[in-house]
Amino acid sequence: MEIQIKLYGSSKLLSESETLLIKLPENSNIGQLRSSLKKFIDENYSKSNLDNLSNSAAFFSDRNEIVNDSYQLKNKELISIIPPIGGG
Amino acid sequence: MSIHTALVKTEEQKISIEKAKNFIASEEYGAESIFVGRVRNENSGKKVTAVTYDAHDQAVLKSFQSICDDAKKKFDSSASIFLEHAKGYSPVGEISILIAVGSGHRDEAFKICRYILEEVKHQSPIWKKEHYADGKEEWLPGHSLRPKKEVKS
Repeated sequence: MEIQIKLYGSSKLLSESETLLIKLPENSNIGQLRSSLKKFIDENYSKSNLDNLSNSAAFFSDRNEIVNDSYQLKNKELISIIPPIGGG
Repeated sequence: MSIHTALVKTEEQKISIEKAKNFIASEEYGAESIFVGRVRNENSGKKVTAVTYDAHDQAVLKSFQSICDDAKKKFDSSASIFLEHAKGYSPVGEISILIAVGSGHRDEAFKICRYILEEVKHQSPIWKKEHYADGKEEWLPGHSLRPKKEVKS
């Protein structure tokens, strides 16, 4: 299955485009997405502010609500990654 | 309408203090509290030239409304609240956040203003990328919204 991750904040370092395509086994959940993201970052980046991104980020469903690691993903679903926030 | 919230795209317009003052102006209010946050020219010893603000628009606007509703319930249900935050590239000196509160009394006006500022920092998905005088840039660390029980320390 394929998941589109909409990038925000520091996660924009992961791609020049607004989204990142991640391929996962069928019936994956957010926890598995998190693990795949960690692997992708470890293999491709050495930037210090991405080190803990896969652990510290929250994920929003298309309803703009935080989903936990057991949330079951649907093929082609668009998920927003929410790195640690710091506005104001 | 007693609550106004918005994300202001900096390439299209600027946050206006006059607009905020006009919004909260009322003969019913004996107090107006206005907080203006601006882009500062220094952070941790580095010379800052600008900040780019990124935001998850829908979630930010939802959080702004919820924070303002809570502030009114908590401190003064008759208060007027104006809350705007910048989105996009903002040079040093530009307004990043503006909170204006009209209330019957000063204590409630100050408290609402402070409450909103702290809650925006803790709840609203907004990110800062600082641009430095040496040409480098950096996304700043922040506060995780991931449920605490799931985060590995």
